[in-house]
Order: sequence, then C-alpha cells, then structure tokens
Amino acid sequence: MRHFPAILLYLTVLTILSCKEIPIEISDPVIPESSRVVLLEELTGASCSNCPKGSAAIENILNKFDGKVAVVGIHGEFLSEPTKKSKYDFRNQKAKDLENWFQPWFGKPAASINRVPNEDNLLMTDLPDLWQAAVESELQKPHQMNILMDVKYNAQSRRLDLELAAIPLVDLNGNYNITIYLTESDIVDAQSSGSVIIEDYSHQHVLRDMLTRIDGDGLGTDLKQNVIIKRNYNYTLPEGAGGLWKPEKMEVIAMISHNAPTNKAVVQAIHSKLIK
Amino acid sequence: MITRFFLFILVLSSISISAQDKGTFSGAFETNANVFIRDSSINAINTPQYNRQIFGGEAWFNLNYSIQGFTIGARFDMFNNSNLRNPTGSFSGTGIGRWYIKKDIKNLEISAGYLYDQIGSGIIFRAFETRSLFIDNAIYGAKVKYNLSDNWNVMAFVGKQKNAFEVYTGNLKGARLEGFVNLGSEEKPVTLAPGLGFVNRTISDENMAGVADALRTYQNADRFSPNHNTYSTSVYNTLSFAGINLYTEVALKSKDIFYNPFAIKTEIVGASLGKLEQKAGSVLYGSLSYAKGKLGVTAEAKRTENFSFRIDPNQRLLRGLINYLTPLNRQNTYRLTARYSPAAQDISELAYGLDVRYKFNKNISANVNYSDITTLDGDRLFQELFTEVIYKYKRKWQLTTGIQFLTYNQEVYEMKSEVPLVKTITPYLDFLYRFTPYKALRTEFQYMETKQDFGSWMYGLAEFSMAPKWSFEISGMYNVKPKKANSKGVIEKTLYPTLGVVFFNDAQRYSLRYVKQVEGIVCSGGICRLEPAFSGFRFTMNTTF
Repeated sequence: MRHFPAILLYLTVLTILSCKEIPIEISDPVIPESSRVVLLEELTGASCSNCPKGSAAIENILNKFDGKVAVVGIHGEFLSEPTKKSKYDFRNQKAKDLENWFQPWFGKPAASINRVPNEDNLLMTDLPDLWQAAVESELQKPHQMNILMDVKYNAQSRRLDLELAAIPLVDLNGNYNITIYLTESDIVDAQSSGSVIIEDYSHQHVLRDMLTRIDGDGLGTDLKQNVIIKRNYNYTLPEGAGGLWKPEKMEVIAMISHNAPTNKAVVQAIHSKLIK
Repeated sequence: MITRFFLFILVLSSISISAQDKGTFSGAFETNANVFIRDSSINAINTPQYNRQIFGGEAWFNLNYSIQGFTIGARFDMFNNSNLRNPTGSFSGTGIGRWYIKKDIKNLEISAGYLYDQIGSGIIFRAFETRSLFIDNAIYGAKVKYNLSDNWNVMAFVGKQKNAFEVYTGNLKGARLEGFVNLGSEEKPVTLAPGLGFVNRTISDENMAGVADALRTYQNADRFSPNHNTYSTSVYNTLSFAGINLYTEVALKSKDIFYNPFAIKTEIVGASLGKLEQKAGSVLYGSLSYAKGKLGVTAEAKRTENFSFRIDPNQRLLRGLINYLTPLNRQNTYRLTARYSPAAQDISELAYGLDVRYKFNKNISANVNYSDITTLDGDRLFQELFTEVIYKYKRKWQLTTGIQFLTYNQEVYEMKSEVPLVKTITPYLDFLYRFTPYKALRTEFQYMETKQDFGSWMYGLAEFSMAPKWSFEISGMYNVKPKKANSKGVIEKTLYPTLGVVFFNDAQRYSLRYVKQVEGIVCSGGICRLEPAFSGFRFTMNTTF
C-alpha cells in the first residue's frame, strides 16, 4: 500500500503530460499531371443503406480529377435487390458475376481502384474515404499506354460500333486483357440511405451490360512499344422500356489490364459518352 | 525468432529433466472442418468455398508447460480456406498464432509474447480471443505485474495488437492497479475491490496517413486536426456486503478519432451519413446484485457515449478493437430466442437490465429478465421481456418453458432502411426425460410470431443422449409465414434441417452435423457484412489435456 500514492501520482502525471501533441497538417489533394485514366469499379446496391456515401465519394473524386477517372457501378447480388419503393431492378448477370469475381470483400460500398490490391491484399476497399488517395496514387504511376476509342451510335438501329486502338508507350511483358462496360447515369429511382429510402435518388454509372467477358477478352502477350493493337466491338441497345437504356445517358468504358494469376491491375482506361 | 523460441523450450525441458523436476504440461486442441454444398434455394452460393474450394476449416493446438516459476506456451493456428475472417471470402494461413513466456520471481511476474488480459470489465482494454468470430486481440509485447502486498497489485504492459499472423502498427500501453479491502469484521465482512486503469493508444504513422487521406476528402466543416495519442482511464470497484454486490465503473477517453456511422458528413452537394470524428468519450456502468435464500436479483445500467476504441480508426466491424463493451441484454441460448441479439453500441447507448430468479421449492424455479436499450436521444433499439419456469420431477424429467417478447431495431443493428421495428413473441418449451441414468431424450419446441423481417418461424429439436459416449440430434427451423423472397425471387416456406451425432471420450468431444442454416446480415461502423447461409457438413473436435 505504501507504493500506492507514488503509482497514482505517476499515472496522473502521465495523463497530464499526454495532452500536448504537435498537430499534423491536412493538405488538399494533389492533382498530378498525367495522361493516365483510372478505373474505379464500385460494388453498390439499391438496398445498401451505406452506399450513397460511396456515391458521394465518387462524385467528389470525379469533381477533383475531371476526366481522369472512369466509374462503373456494379449492382450485383448483395444488398442490390430493389427496395420496396423501386421502379427498376439494376441487377444483371454480368454485374452479379463481376461482383463475385471480386471476392473476397467485406461489405458495401466497396471500390476497386485500377484493380490494385490494398494493404489487406484485397482488390476491394470498403472505406469510401480512402478511395481518393488510391486514385491519386494510381495517377502518379507512370503512364504506359494510350487507348483511342471511336464511338459510333446509330439512333435508328440503336447500334453501337466501337473501334479501339491500344498503343503501348513502353514494352509491356505478360498477358493483357481488354474489358468494355456500358453504364447509364441519371436514373431516378429509389435508394436506401441510412434509415430512409430516397425515392428520387439519381443513380450514376450503373453497369447495364458488358461487351466482353467479365474478366476481359484477350488482347495480347508481350506488347511492344508503339505497336498498335486494334479491336472492334458492336452492341445493339435494347429498346428503352420503362425509361431505361437512354443512349444520351449512357457511357462506354474500356480498360486494358494485366492478366496474370496474381496481377489484374489496370494499365489504362478510357470513357466516352455514346452521344457526345 | 520462432526457431529460437522452440530451442528455448527444448533447453528448458532439458533443465527440468536434469533437475528431476518434470514440471507440468497442459494443452488443448480444437478443429472445425466444413464441407460446403451449394444450395441456391437458401442462398448458400457464391463464396469461394461453394464455388470451387468445397472444403474449409480451422485448427488450434496450444501447449503450456510450467516449471520452477516459468510458464511457457505456444499455439499452432491453421486456417485452410476458412470463412471465419470474412464470411464471404476465404482465408488460409498457418503458423504460430501465439507464444508466451511467464516467470514468477517472488512478488514479481514478468510476461512476454502474445498476452491476454483486461482492465476492469474491459471498457478501456480487453485483449481476448473469440475463435468463432475470428477475434484474437492478444497484445504482442511485455507485461509486468507486481504484488505490492497480499491484497494490492499493479500491472503494466506495452505492445502491439495482434492481427491474424501479423500485428497492427499502432502502439498500446497501459497500467492497472487493483486491490482488496475489508472494512468489516470476519463475521460481517464489508469488502471493496477497487481498481484503477489507464491505457494509451498511439496511432502509427502508416495508420495516420490513412486518416489524413480520408480527412483530405472532407469539406472544411468536417475536417479536424488529428491526434496520434488517445488516453483512456477507468475507475472501478466491487462492494460486497451481506449478499449484496455492487460493481461500478466509470471510464473516460480523451479525444479520439473514430468512425461514426450516424454522423452527417457535408458533401460538395448535400450530405451523407458517416464520417471520422475526433471526440472524447465516456462509459458509466453499474451492476447491483443480491442473492439470499431463494431469491436472486441483478440490476444493471450502462451509458455509452463515443467509446469506439480501435488500434486504427480506419478499421471496421470486429477488426482492431481495443476494448469490449458488455451487452446488457440476456444472452439467450435457444435458437429462436437468440435470433435477434443486439450488439453493444459504442457511439450512443443507454441500457438497463433486470434479472430476478426465485426458487419456490426444490421442484420449481422461475426467472424473469427484462432489458431495455435506447440511444442517448431516446430512440428505441432493443427491448426484451424473457420468462422462464423450470419444473423438475424427481430425477425423471424436467420441463423448462417460458415466453419471450422482443423488440429489435433493424435500422440500427443491421443498417436497413425504412424497416419497422421487429417485434416478436416466442413461446418455447424444453422437455428432458431420463429413461435411465444413462439414456435421456431432450426435446425443444419454439415458435416465433412476427410480421417483420423473414416472418414467423417454428423450431423443433430432439436430442437422444446415451451417456457417457453418444448423443444424436435432429432439428429443423421452418419459415412458416415467410415474408422474404429467396434468391430465386420466390416467397416460399423453407425448412432448415440439422442432423447430428456427438461422441464423447473422456475430455474429447467429436461432432458431425449436416446443417442448413439461414443467412443473416450484420452491420457495424457503417459497413454491412453478410453472414451467408450455410449448407453442408460440419465436423468439430476438441480436447483438453
């Protein structure tokens, strides 16, 4: 017991001494000069009450890095079922398959930035607050490939013709895949948000279909600098029943990625409106 | 390092043999092995185990050795395509999950390695292991405990928190002073067991970079200057007098960075829910119990405000927890009465609990339990009234029956939007009949009436035991009034059966079950986590020696 006052004093002093700390500066994001375009694939869902937070984070990113980020909103299976107030069901088989392709992940919202693993070695990061830093990090990496994309849309036939050209800026070893997504934005429909359902929520970047396999079509192996690789794709948009499949609200996104068992990282992405 | 550790064990063992002091070995082994069988009708699909791995399991083997004041121990951990860490993923890893060494030198106790301990009830610090939830928050560091007298001791520790086979980068240190005082006489003792604890968490530079990355995305209204250090302290005491026990604990935490899923974050346009905040926190907890003769009463109360305490503020769900907040509701064991169980809320919670037990005579006893949990703003989170009556007829049979009335807030506990409070009424019955001293049949019947969530359920179980070796069971959970569509989009009645056999051999227990288990969603810290449905075989084995 004779030690008690000394120990109590020690703890008290320790507590008091602990109060001062030099604060760290929170700087604004750095917007690097780069020709890279980063792909952000988000797992989301109409019944996911936390997902508007992910959408807000994405809009912040797009606002800060205008044109440098391509976004795909994947409404797969988990918490993606329509709410009781929904008009539409955004789920489709490609979205479900892609969501499962990204396993494992902990929850929604979650996003993969250029398919680069995070510090937990997962492709999906479930903290929207950290997505922007990951985008910045990807934009600071060397620019290794240009993609050119010519988008032709015929309003009468609703046919979309794509002509793509990939131009490696350095020699790129390994296998590479090309993946093409069709997304639709400004779809007004219900969305769970916290404890309420927002009936007139504006859904952005909703994955409607893919023109390739979900894990991409083969593009080539050991790509050589300045040796252009061309690909052509076409797609006919379904008739816009019920207010969906509006070509003026749609975007086509193409990306080229590594295709190795432990490396699926995106080399470059490109995005373009169907109707400019 | 591990090699050196085992060399050390070998040397120590040699010393013991030469000293002709054999010491004491003790240990335990536990394993789970699951075979996953796809069943789309209950949504048991689309995890790596169902898609391709088929098998997943875990094993833990720990061994302790005590000799001449030394205690050493190590635990082998194996995860093989395990879904414990992430229920929708697969985790594999093998290695030494824990090692430690402890030496008693008179009044001094020194420990190093992966250590478990807690301060008070765990409000400011608890390093513990819960295998079923993949929680192993051991501190990898050193601990010193000194006995100041027969009744007083002081403990201090420094270390990092374990994260599977690695450690988190943040640092933890803490101290605890505990004692025992008798203010009364030997005939009429009035005792106090006071304690004082202190914990400091320092966020690592790597983790702080993550915090800064997040804050950089915030609008000025939500930004703050983050501190690396957080200090928490706890004062607690148990007063015992004439059958009355009063435990009180007050815990305070200095400004700490934590994720508040209910805070409104300013966006460029509009607002969203959930953001990092830096605020001080507090927990007040009290438990008063009285037991005399046939009556036992326990009353509890807890007030929690901003007490999320993690090694890294960017961790969510069950990851990186430094402390443990005890839930005040009854910990139910029957399948349906345990279906809606509230997680202790670390941001805002006001909870009360009352438990009364009375033994009328040697045949009849009764228990009534009431718990009430709201936010600090008064929003209803959980309410339960649970009754139980036990009637024993000689040693021939025993009837346990009662009813549960429950209200559960899915919007908060499961982050669901615009869903009503789940209200259930669940009568249950448990009947045990002994044919002989070695053979017995136990049956359970439960019915949950509810108009919310999945709708009403019925559950039945029959368990035939042939002591001391065998036990056989069959059970079924049936969605009698379904409200939810399954993965095929159909609202249909679904049976979730279980068939099992358990074999006992002294301290060994083996069980094999065929299981279909309904899925559920668990949310915390703004992230929802799917606990998928299970379909397949489960084998478990454990033993101690």
